[in-house]
Amino acid sequence: MNAPFFKYGMFNDEVSLIMAFIIGIGFGFFLERAGFGSSKKLAAQFYFNDMSVLKVMFSAIVTAMIGIFYLSWIGFMDLSLVYLTPTYILPQILGGLILGVGFVIGGYCPGTSAVGVSTGRIDAMVYFIGIFGGVFIFGEMYPWLQGFADSTPMGTVTLPQFLNLPYGLVVFLVVLMAVGAFALAEWGEKKIQSKKAVS
Amino acid sequence: MKCMLSNLNLNKRLALIAVVIGFIGLFAGSPYKGNTVKMDTKELSLIVQNEVDHVSVDELADWIIKEKSDYRLIDLRNEKDFGEYHIPNAENVTLPQLENYNITRSEKIILYSDGGIHSAQGWMLLKAKDFKGVYMLTGGLDEWKTKVLFPIFPENGTAEEKTAFEKKKEISKFFGGSPITGQQETGTNVTPKMEMPKIESPGGVNPAPTTGKKKKEGC
Repeated sequence: MNAPFFKYGMFNDEVSLIMAFIIGIGFGFFLERAGFGSSKKLAAQFYFNDMSVLKVMFSAIVTAMIGIFYLSWIGFMDLSLVYLTPTYILPQILGGLILGVGFVIGGYCPGTSAVGVSTGRIDAMVYFIGIFGGVFIFGEMYPWLQGFADSTPMGTVTLPQFLNLPYGLVVFLVVLMAVGAFALAEWGEKKIQSKKAVS
Repeated sequence: MKCMLSNLNLNKRLALIAVVIGFIGLFAGSPYKGNTVKMDTKELSLIVQNEVDHVSVDELADWIIKEKSDYRLIDLRNEKDFGEYHIPNAENVTLPQLENYNITRSEKIILYSDGGIHSAQGWMLLKAKDFKGVYMLTGGLDEWKTKVLFPIFPENGTAEEKTAFEKKKEISKFFGGSPITGQQETGTNVTPKMEMPKIESPGGVNPAPTTGKKKKEGC
């Protein structure tokens, strides 16, 4: 048995959709359990009251990174078969900014809005419709946007390749960064909460 | 030390574990496989034995007609031969170029040459580099000519063979070939009738890499 399972032909296209469905349900379930079905909780992140989003996301990143690194290292997984989204630096910076602004205004990101919809939150439903509206407009405008969307291509690039550092070093640095961010988040939360308590 | 550890809450313990594992990662080396690879000769010989590494010309013809785009067709012959005729959608890559050509290990790659020797050598080369989905066109271009472009109708064919031949005729015409029916003089020499189709005719030849058409993955 070797990973990635799909690339080694363990299941076909149709079964891969079922797998995606199961993983998606799992993803949604844990987002909901972390409280991410609520826009208040998500927006609190940007006022530094509650840094759960940062903590959950960084935990997920670190867990996945360490898992993938060691599974590849022992030879269970072929890292070169894992699909990487190609990098287009300028369009992706702009896209990230639009997503971020939408996150602050609406209190949801695309994934969490689906979680909010499934637990019956009206604001999430409005947000969800908005996502599809945006996707539709983008799709219709794509012929005009294509020039920009294809600009500044960097190909499929990873941090170790880009920084020209050993893979293990990048893993260690990202772990340190995550732990640092955790500590900072906890410290910030305490500070703001004690401030509130005083006032 | 033990006392210190037991004082930490769960989050801090997890963070500590992550740091320790990350630190070990510093000395673990690269998770990518390098240029030297181990070949599982038994696995390879089984693949060869069971002929799962082949794609027949009929299958390939079917894929081209159905406009499937989940494979890369590589023509290993030289540029001149490629210019004269090649199977639609093929890309011309000679054996020495193959190693550094723009193909990835996750793609389905079909190799062909005139017969079968060059494609078999190319197959071994790519297998050694741990490519997963490498296939050879059975019989190569020679078989493509005799089975797809210029199928010959057996003179005393049964009704069954006749209906099968009708289908082959259609396929042959799609690729700009000409089926040879038995009624005409099959006895002496049929080769003068076989004129290779012009390469621009069948299904729009596109020697450029097909990566643009590839199914999008990821989110």
